[in-house]
Amino acid sequence: MTTKRIIACLDVKNGRVVKGVNFLNLKDKGDPVELASRYEDEGADEIVFLDIAATVEGRRTLLEVIKNTASVLSIPLTVGGGIRTIDDVSRILGNGADKVSINTAAVENKRIISEASEQFGAQAVVVAIDAKRVNNDFIVFTRSGTYNTGLNAISWAKEVEQLGAGEILLTSIDKDGTREGYDIELTEKVSKSVNIPVIASGGAGKMEHFYEVLKVADAALAAGIFHDGIIRIPDLKKYLLSKGVEVRI
Amino acid sequence: MKATVINYGVGNLFSIKAGLEREGFNVIISFFPQGDEDVIVLPGVGAFSAVASYLNSLKGKFEELRERGTKFLGVCLGMQVMFEEGTEGGISKGLGWFKGKVDRINANVKLPHIGWDKIYVKNDPCGLTEGIDGKYVYYVHSYVAYTDNYIAYSDYGVRYPAIVCNDFAVGTQFHPEKSSNTGKIFLRNFYQWVKR
Repeated sequence: MTTKRIIACLDVKNGRVVKGVNFLNLKDKGDPVELASRYEDEGADEIVFLDIAATVEGRRTLLEVIKNTASVLSIPLTVGGGIRTIDDVSRILGNGADKVSINTAAVENKRIISEASEQFGAQAVVVAIDAKRVNNDFIVFTRSGTYNTGLNAISWAKEVEQLGAGEILLTSIDKDGTREGYDIELTEKVSKSVNIPVIASGGAGKMEHFYEVLKVADAALAAGIFHDGIIRIPDLKKYLLSKGVEVRI
Repeated sequence: MKATVINYGVGNLFSIKAGLEREGFNVIISFFPQGDEDVIVLPGVGAFSAVASYLNSLKGKFEELRERGTKFLGVCLGMQVMFEEGTEGGISKGLGWFKGKVDRINANVKLPHIGWDKIYVKNDPCGLTEGIDGKYVYYVHSYVAYTDNYIAYSDYGVRYPAIVCNDFAVGTQFHPEKSSNTGKIFLRNFYQWVKR
Protein backbone atom coordinates (compact mmCIF):
# COMPACT_ATOMS: atom_id res chain seq x y z
CA MET A 1 0.00 0.00 0.00
CA THR A 2 0.99 3.58 -0.55
CA THR A 3 2.52 5.01 2.60
CA LYS A 4 0.98 7.80 4.61
CA ARG A 5 2.89 10.98 3.86
CA ILE A 6 4.40 13.45 6.30
CA ILE A 7 4.57 16.89 4.77
CA ALA A 8 6.58 19.81 6.10
CA CYS A 9 5.06 23.18 5.33
CA LEU A 10 7.06 26.36 5.13
CA ASP A 11 5.23 29.67 5.20
CA VAL A 12 7.42 31.90 3.06
CA LYS A 13 7.37 35.67 3.20
CA ASN A 14 9.80 37.73 1.13
CA GLY A 15 12.23 34.84 0.85
CA ARG A 16 12.17 33.84 4.54
CA VAL A 17 10.27 31.16 6.45
CA VAL A 18 7.84 32.54 9.03
CA LYS A 19 5.17 31.05 11.26
CA GLY A 20 2.24 32.55 13.12
CA VAL A 21 -0.77 31.46 15.14
CA ASN A 22 -4.17 31.61 13.45
CA PHE A 23 -2.49 33.38 10.52
CA LEU A 24 -1.23 36.19 12.81
CA ASN A 25 1.93 37.12 14.78
CA LEU A 26 4.59 36.07 12.27
CA LYS A 27 8.05 35.01 13.46
CA ASP A 28 11.19 34.39 11.40
CA LYS A 29 12.14 30.69 11.19
CA GLY A 30 14.96 30.65 8.66
CA ASP A 31 16.00 30.11 5.06
CA PRO A 32 13.51 28.11 2.94
CA VAL A 33 16.11 26.31 0.80
CA GLU A 34 18.08 25.19 3.85
CA LEU A 35 15.01 24.14 5.81
CA ALA A 36 13.50 22.25 2.88
CA SER A 37 16.60 20.15 2.32
CA ARG A 38 17.05 19.58 6.04
CA TYR A 39 13.50 18.18 6.12
CA GLU A 40 14.25 15.92 3.17
CA ASP A 41 17.29 14.55 5.01
CA GLU A 42 15.15 13.95 8.10
CA GLY A 43 12.63 11.96 6.07
CA ALA A 44 9.87 14.39 5.08
CA ASP A 45 7.92 12.95 2.15
CA GLU A 46 7.06 16.30 0.61
CA ILE A 47 7.60 20.01 1.07
CA VAL A 48 4.96 22.71 0.75
CA PHE A 49 5.82 26.39 0.37
CA LEU A 50 3.02 28.82 1.09
CA ASP A 51 3.78 32.33 -0.11
CA ILE A 52 2.02 34.38 2.49
CA ALA A 53 3.10 37.79 1.25
CA ALA A 54 2.22 37.31 -2.40
CA THR A 55 3.18 40.86 -3.36
CA VAL A 56 4.75 41.55 -6.74
CA GLU A 57 8.19 41.84 -5.16
CA GLY A 58 7.65 38.77 -2.96
CA ARG A 59 6.53 36.85 -6.03
CA ARG A 60 9.77 37.35 -7.89
CA THR A 61 11.71 36.36 -4.79
CA LEU A 62 9.54 33.26 -4.49
CA LEU A 63 10.35 32.06 -8.02
CA GLU A 64 14.04 32.31 -7.13
CA VAL A 65 13.43 30.39 -3.92
CA ILE A 66 11.55 27.68 -5.85
CA LYS A 67 14.37 27.33 -8.35
CA ASN A 68 17.07 27.17 -5.68
CA THR A 69 15.05 24.66 -3.69
CA ALA A 70 14.25 22.46 -6.68
CA SER A 71 17.97 22.31 -7.51
CA VAL A 72 18.77 20.61 -4.24
CA LEU A 73 15.51 18.86 -3.34
CA SER A 74 14.66 15.37 -4.56
CA ILE A 75 11.23 15.00 -3.03
CA PRO A 76 8.06 16.68 -4.33
CA LEU A 77 7.58 20.41 -3.86
CA THR A 78 4.18 22.11 -3.78
CA VAL A 79 3.82 25.88 -3.92
CA GLY A 80 0.76 27.89 -2.98
CA GLY A 81 -0.31 31.37 -2.00
CA GLY A 82 -1.55 34.17 -4.19
CA ILE A 83 -2.01 32.07 -7.32
CA ARG A 84 -4.59 33.86 -9.46
CA THR A 85 -4.00 32.88 -13.09
CA ILE A 86 -2.86 30.04 -15.32
CA ASP A 87 0.27 32.11 -15.98
CA ASP A 88 1.07 32.05 -12.26
CA VAL A 89 0.67 28.26 -12.31
CA SER A 90 2.87 27.92 -15.37
CA ARG A 91 5.64 30.11 -13.91
CA ILE A 92 5.68 28.21 -10.61
CA LEU A 93 5.79 24.77 -12.27
CA GLY A 94 8.32 26.03 -14.80
CA ASN A 95 10.67 27.02 -11.99
CA GLY A 96 10.70 23.56 -10.49
CA ALA A 97 7.58 23.07 -8.36
CA ASP A 98 5.71 19.79 -8.91
CA LYS A 99 2.31 21.02 -7.82
CA VAL A 100 0.52 24.25 -7.12
CA SER A 101 -1.93 24.75 -4.32
CA ILE A 102 -4.81 27.05 -5.19
CA ASN A 103 -7.11 28.49 -2.56
CA THR A 104 -8.90 31.83 -2.96
CA ALA A 105 -8.70 31.87 -6.76
CA ALA A 106 -10.30 28.42 -6.91
CA VAL A 107 -13.40 29.72 -5.14
CA GLU A 108 -13.57 33.00 -7.00
CA ASN A 109 -12.86 31.54 -10.43
CA LYS A 110 -13.54 27.79 -10.57
CA ARG A 111 -12.31 27.55 -14.13
CA ILE A 112 -8.74 27.91 -12.96
CA ILE A 113 -9.02 24.41 -11.47
CA SER A 114 -10.22 22.75 -14.66
CA GLU A 115 -7.91 24.75 -16.90
CA ALA A 116 -4.84 24.01 -14.77
CA SER A 117 -5.84 20.37 -14.56
CA GLU A 118 -6.21 20.06 -18.33
CA GLN A 119 -2.98 21.87 -19.08
CA PHE A 120 -0.71 20.47 -16.42
CA GLY A 121 -2.50 17.31 -15.30
CA ALA A 122 -4.62 16.70 -12.20
CA GLN A 123 -1.52 15.57 -10.28
CA ALA A 124 -0.16 19.13 -10.42
CA VAL A 125 -3.29 20.75 -9.01
CA VAL A 126 -3.89 20.82 -5.27
CA VAL A 127 -6.92 22.73 -4.08
CA ALA A 128 -6.45 24.18 -0.61
CA ILE A 129 -9.57 24.39 1.48
CA ASP A 130 -9.48 26.46 4.69
CA ALA A 131 -12.51 25.46 6.74
CA LYS A 132 -13.99 26.78 9.95
CA ARG A 133 -16.84 25.59 12.14
CA VAL A 134 -19.80 27.92 11.89
CA ASN A 135 -23.06 26.82 13.60
CA ASN A 136 -22.17 23.12 13.51
CA ASP A 137 -21.23 23.30 9.88
CA PHE A 138 -17.86 23.45 8.12
CA ILE A 139 -17.64 26.60 6.05
CA VAL A 140 -14.94 27.52 3.49
CA PHE A 141 -13.02 30.71 4.20
CA THR A 142 -10.67 32.37 1.72
CA ARG A 143 -8.25 35.30 1.68
CA SER A 144 -6.06 33.82 4.44
CA GLY A 145 -9.04 32.84 6.52
CA THR A 146 -10.68 36.26 6.61
CA TYR A 147 -13.51 35.88 4.13
CA ASN A 148 -16.58 33.71 4.71
CA THR A 149 -17.55 32.26 1.33
CA GLY A 150 -20.71 30.64 2.67
CA LEU A 151 -19.68 27.43 0.90
CA ASN A 152 -20.00 24.12 2.70
CA ALA A 153 -16.56 22.52 2.91
CA ILE A 154 -17.75 19.00 2.08
CA SER A 155 -19.70 20.00 -1.01
CA TRP A 156 -16.85 22.27 -2.11
CA ALA A 157 -14.43 19.34 -1.77
CA LYS A 158 -16.66 17.20 -4.01
CA GLU A 159 -16.91 20.01 -6.52
CA VAL A 160 -13.15 20.59 -6.78
CA GLU A 161 -12.69 16.87 -7.38
CA GLN A 162 -15.19 17.08 -10.24
CA LEU A 163 -13.37 20.13 -11.61
CA GLY A 164 -10.11 18.18 -11.83
CA ALA A 165 -8.20 18.73 -8.59
CA GLY A 166 -5.67 15.97 -7.93
CA GLU A 167 -5.48 16.47 -4.15
CA ILE A 168 -7.10 18.45 -1.38
CA LEU A 169 -5.07 20.30 1.23
CA LEU A 170 -7.54 20.68 4.06
CA THR A 171 -6.77 23.17 6.82
CA SER A 172 -8.85 23.67 9.93
CA ILE A 173 -8.72 27.37 10.72
CA ASP A 174 -9.96 26.67 14.25
CA LYS A 175 -7.06 24.30 14.94
CA ASP A 176 -4.29 25.97 12.94
CA GLY A 177 -1.36 26.88 15.20
CA THR A 178 -3.10 25.72 18.39
CA ARG A 179 -1.24 22.39 18.72
CA GLU A 180 -4.45 20.84 20.10
CA GLY A 181 -4.69 18.23 17.35
CA TYR A 182 -6.10 18.06 13.84
CA ASP A 183 -9.83 18.45 13.26
CA ILE A 184 -10.61 14.76 12.87
CA GLU A 185 -14.30 15.21 12.16
CA LEU A 186 -13.67 17.68 9.35
CA THR A 187 -10.91 15.56 7.84
CA GLU A 188 -12.93 12.37 8.01
CA LYS A 189 -15.99 13.98 6.42
CA VAL A 190 -14.02 15.42 3.52
CA SER A 191 -11.89 12.33 3.01
CA LYS A 192 -14.95 10.09 2.85
CA SER A 193 -16.72 12.30 0.35
CA VAL A 194 -13.95 12.39 -2.29
CA ASN A 195 -11.86 9.83 -4.14
CA ILE A 196 -8.66 11.89 -4.35
CA PRO A 197 -5.96 12.12 -1.66
CA VAL A 198 -6.64 14.44 1.29
CA ILE A 199 -3.83 16.16 3.19
CA ALA A 200 -4.81 17.15 6.73
CA SER A 201 -3.46 20.41 8.08
CA GLY A 202 -3.76 22.58 11.15
CA GLY A 203 -3.37 21.70 14.81
CA ALA A 204 -0.52 19.18 15.04
CA GLY A 205 1.03 19.36 18.51
CA LYS A 206 2.18 15.85 19.36
CA MET A 207 2.83 12.54 17.63
CA GLU A 208 -0.53 11.06 18.68
CA HIS A 209 -2.25 13.76 16.63
CA PHE A 210 -0.60 12.44 13.45
CA TYR A 211 -1.58 8.89 14.33
CA GLU A 212 -5.21 9.91 14.86
CA VAL A 213 -5.56 11.97 11.67
CA LEU A 214 -3.75 9.47 9.44
CA LYS A 215 -6.56 7.02 10.14
CA VAL A 216 -8.73 9.24 7.95
CA ALA A 217 -6.25 11.26 5.82
CA ASP A 218 -3.69 10.24 3.20
CA ALA A 219 -1.11 12.71 4.43
CA ALA A 220 -0.55 15.03 7.37
CA LEU A 221 1.03 18.43 7.14
CA ALA A 222 2.68 20.46 9.87
CA ALA A 223 4.89 23.51 10.16
CA GLY A 224 5.58 25.07 13.55
CA ILE A 225 6.18 21.89 15.53
CA PHE A 226 8.84 20.84 13.01
CA HIS A 227 10.47 24.29 12.84
CA ASP A 228 10.55 24.56 16.63
CA GLY A 229 11.98 21.06 17.00
CA ILE A 230 9.06 19.93 19.19
CA ILE A 231 8.66 16.88 16.96
CA ARG A 232 11.48 15.47 14.86
CA ILE A 233 10.36 13.72 11.67
CA PRO A 234 12.55 10.60 12.20
CA ASP A 235 11.03 10.12 15.69
CA LEU A 236 7.54 10.73 14.33
CA LYS A 237 7.97 8.13 11.60
CA LYS A 238 9.38 5.56 14.02
CA TYR A 239 6.42 6.17 16.30
CA LEU A 240 3.92 5.81 13.44
CA LEU A 241 5.57 2.58 12.28
CA SER A 242 5.37 1.20 15.81
CA LYS A 243 1.65 1.95 15.74
CA GLY A 244 1.27 -0.01 12.51
CA VAL A 245 1.02 2.98 10.16
CA GLU A 246 2.97 2.42 6.95
CA VAL A 247 5.41 5.28 6.43
CA ARG A 248 8.60 5.61 4.44
CA ILE A 249 11.77 5.29 6.48
CA MET B 1 27.78 12.62 -20.54
CA LYS B 2 25.23 14.70 -22.44
CA ALA B 3 21.48 14.42 -21.93
CA THR B 4 18.67 16.25 -23.69
CA VAL B 5 15.32 16.52 -21.92
CA ILE B 6 12.68 16.79 -24.62
CA ASN B 7 10.37 19.69 -23.91
CA TYR B 8 6.98 18.54 -25.15
CA GLY B 9 4.77 20.03 -22.56
CA VAL B 10 4.30 22.58 -19.93
CA GLY B 11 5.16 21.69 -16.37
CA ASN B 12 8.12 20.85 -14.22
CA LEU B 13 11.09 19.96 -16.43
CA PHE B 14 13.47 21.64 -14.03
CA SER B 15 13.49 18.81 -11.44
CA ILE B 16 14.45 16.04 -13.84
CA LYS B 17 17.20 18.29 -15.19
CA ALA B 18 18.47 18.99 -11.67
CA GLY B 19 18.21 15.30 -10.73
CA LEU B 20 20.28 14.19 -13.73
CA GLU B 21 22.82 16.97 -13.15
CA ARG B 22 23.33 15.80 -9.58
CA GLU B 23 24.43 12.42 -10.94
CA GLY B 24 26.89 13.89 -13.41
CA PHE B 25 24.91 14.43 -16.61
CA ASN B 26 25.29 17.58 -18.63
CA VAL B 27 21.66 18.47 -19.32
CA ILE B 28 19.83 20.76 -21.69
CA ILE B 29 16.08 21.14 -22.22
CA SER B 30 15.02 21.35 -25.87
CA PHE B 31 12.08 20.74 -28.20
CA PHE B 32 14.31 18.62 -30.43
CA PRO B 33 17.22 16.18 -30.10
CA GLN B 34 20.62 17.85 -30.49
CA GLY B 35 22.18 14.98 -32.43
CA ASP B 36 25.27 14.56 -30.25
CA GLU B 37 23.69 13.59 -26.92
CA ASP B 38 24.29 10.30 -25.14
CA VAL B 39 20.79 10.24 -23.70
CA ILE B 40 17.38 11.50 -24.75
CA VAL B 41 15.08 11.99 -21.77
CA LEU B 42 11.31 11.87 -22.14
CA PRO B 43 9.99 13.61 -19.00
CA GLY B 44 6.79 12.95 -17.10
CA VAL B 45 4.65 15.91 -18.01
CA GLY B 46 1.52 16.13 -20.17
CA ALA B 47 -1.14 13.75 -21.44
CA PHE B 48 -0.53 10.60 -23.47
CA SER B 49 -2.25 11.51 -26.75
CA ALA B 50 -0.63 14.94 -27.17
CA VAL B 51 2.84 13.79 -26.14
CA ALA B 52 2.70 10.62 -28.24
CA SER B 53 1.72 12.53 -31.34
CA TYR B 54 4.59 15.00 -30.85
CA LEU B 55 7.10 12.22 -30.21
CA ASN B 56 5.92 10.23 -33.21
CA SER B 57 6.81 13.24 -35.34
CA LEU B 58 10.37 12.84 -34.01
CA LYS B 59 10.41 9.05 -34.35
CA GLY B 60 12.51 9.04 -37.53
CA LYS B 61 15.14 11.16 -35.80
CA PHE B 62 15.00 8.92 -32.74
CA GLU B 63 15.59 5.78 -34.83
CA GLU B 64 18.57 7.44 -36.48
CA LEU B 65 20.07 8.37 -33.11
CA ARG B 66 19.34 4.95 -31.73
CA GLU B 67 21.36 3.33 -34.50
CA ARG B 68 24.23 5.59 -33.54
CA GLY B 69 24.05 4.41 -29.96
CA THR B 70 21.97 7.06 -28.24
CA LYS B 71 20.07 5.78 -25.19
CA PHE B 72 16.62 6.80 -24.00
CA LEU B 73 15.15 7.39 -20.56
CA GLY B 74 11.39 7.80 -20.12
CA VAL B 75 9.95 8.91 -16.79
CA CYS B 76 6.30 8.32 -15.86
CA LEU B 77 4.35 9.47 -18.94
CA GLY B 78 7.70 9.47 -20.76
CA MET B 79 7.89 5.73 -20.11
CA GLN B 80 4.25 5.16 -21.03
CA VAL B 81 4.65 6.64 -24.52
CA MET B 82 7.39 4.07 -25.21
CA PHE B 83 4.63 1.42 -25.32
CA GLU B 84 2.48 0.53 -28.31
CA GLU B 85 -0.73 2.23 -27.36
CA GLY B 86 -2.39 4.44 -24.77
CA THR B 87 -5.97 5.33 -23.92
CA GLU B 88 -5.53 8.69 -22.15
CA GLY B 89 -7.23 11.40 -24.21
CA GLY B 90 -8.50 8.84 -26.75
CA ILE B 91 -6.71 5.78 -28.14
CA SER B 92 -3.39 6.72 -29.69
CA LYS B 93 -0.19 5.07 -30.81
CA GLY B 94 2.98 5.29 -28.76
CA LEU B 95 6.56 4.80 -29.95
CA GLY B 96 6.12 1.01 -29.78
CA TRP B 97 9.52 0.28 -28.22
CA PHE B 98 7.90 -1.92 -25.57
CA LYS B 99 5.06 -4.37 -26.13
CA GLY B 100 1.89 -3.57 -24.25
CA LYS B 101 -0.83 -1.05 -23.69
CA VAL B 102 -1.17 1.87 -21.29
CA ASP B 103 -4.51 2.16 -19.54
CA ARG B 104 -6.09 3.61 -16.41
CA ILE B 105 -5.57 1.73 -13.15
CA ASN B 106 -8.62 -0.47 -13.01
CA ALA B 107 -9.14 -1.01 -9.27
CA ASN B 108 -11.06 0.43 -6.38
CA VAL B 109 -8.35 2.87 -5.26
CA LYS B 110 -7.95 6.65 -5.04
CA LEU B 111 -6.68 8.20 -8.29
CA PRO B 112 -4.35 9.87 -9.06
CA HIS B 113 -2.08 7.51 -7.19
CA ILE B 114 0.16 9.94 -5.32
CA GLY B 115 2.84 8.84 -2.92
CA TRP B 116 5.58 6.46 -1.93
CA ASP B 117 5.43 2.75 -2.62
CA LYS B 118 7.93 -0.07 -2.38
CA ILE B 119 9.61 -1.20 -5.57
CA TYR B 120 10.43 -4.89 -6.04
CA VAL B 121 12.92 -6.30 -8.52
CA LYS B 122 11.67 -9.21 -10.62
CA ASN B 123 14.56 -10.00 -12.92
CA ASP B 124 17.00 -7.37 -14.09
CA PRO B 125 19.14 -8.14 -17.13
CA CYS B 126 19.98 -4.42 -17.49
CA GLY B 127 21.74 -3.97 -14.15
CA LEU B 128 19.68 -0.95 -13.13
CA THR B 129 18.32 -2.03 -9.79
CA GLU B 130 21.26 -2.54 -7.48
CA GLY B 131 20.48 -1.03 -4.10
CA ILE B 132 16.82 -0.27 -4.69
CA ASP B 133 14.96 -3.56 -4.15
CA GLY B 134 12.33 -3.15 -1.43
CA LYS B 135 12.92 0.60 -1.12
CA TYR B 136 10.34 3.39 -1.47
CA VAL B 137 9.96 5.42 -4.66
CA TYR B 138 7.60 8.28 -5.48
CA TYR B 139 4.66 7.85 -7.83
CA VAL B 140 2.18 10.28 -9.36
CA HIS B 141 -0.06 8.73 -12.00
CA SER B 142 -3.47 7.32 -12.88
CA TYR B 143 -2.35 5.14 -15.81
CA VAL B 144 -0.03 2.14 -15.93
CA ALA B 145 1.47 -0.05 -18.64
CA TYR B 146 -0.08 -3.49 -18.98
CA THR B 147 2.79 -5.81 -19.91
CA ASP B 148 4.70 -8.82 -18.58
CA ASN B 149 8.06 -7.44 -19.63
CA TYR B 150 9.35 -5.47 -16.69
CA ILE B 151 12.38 -5.69 -14.44
CA ALA B 152 10.76 -4.20 -11.33
CA TYR B 153 7.21 -3.57 -10.15
CA SER B 154 5.04 -1.95 -7.50
CA ASP B 155 1.50 -2.61 -6.38
CA TYR B 156 -1.39 -0.16 -6.13
CA GLY B 157 -4.71 -1.85 -6.75
CA VAL B 158 -2.94 -3.68 -9.56
CA ARG B 159 0.63 -4.92 -10.01
CA TYR B 160 2.29 -2.65 -12.54
CA PRO B 161 5.73 -2.15 -14.09
CA ALA B 162 8.01 0.22 -12.18
CA ILE B 163 11.02 -0.17 -14.50
CA VAL B 164 11.23 -1.50 -18.05
CA CYS B 165 14.31 -1.77 -20.21
CA ASN B 166 15.61 -3.09 -23.52
CA ASP B 167 18.98 -2.63 -25.21
CA PHE B 168 18.52 1.09 -25.89
CA ALA B 169 15.71 2.37 -23.65
CA VAL B 170 14.84 2.50 -19.97
CA GLY B 171 11.50 3.58 -18.58
CA THR B 172 10.38 4.23 -15.01
CA GLN B 173 6.81 4.71 -13.84
CA PHE B 174 8.09 6.35 -10.66
CA HIS B 175 9.88 9.68 -10.58
CA PRO B 176 13.55 9.00 -9.79
CA GLU B 177 14.17 12.76 -9.51
CA LYS B 178 11.56 12.89 -6.72
CA SER B 179 12.43 9.64 -4.96
CA SER B 180 15.07 11.02 -2.58
CA ASN B 181 18.05 8.69 -1.98
CA THR B 182 16.55 5.68 -3.76
CA GLY B 183 15.99 7.84 -6.84
CA LYS B 184 19.58 9.03 -6.70
CA ILE B 185 20.84 5.45 -6.55
CA PHE B 186 18.70 4.55 -9.55
CA LEU B 187 19.98 7.51 -11.61
CA ARG B 188 23.53 6.54 -10.69
CA ASN B 189 22.85 2.99 -11.93
CA PHE B 190 21.33 4.50 -15.07
CA TYR B 191 24.46 6.59 -15.64
CA GLN B 192 26.55 3.40 -15.50
CA TRP B 193 24.14 1.65 -17.88
CA VAL B 194 24.55 4.47 -20.42
CA LYS B 195 28.32 4.40 -20.06
CA ARG B 196 28.52 0.69 -20.87
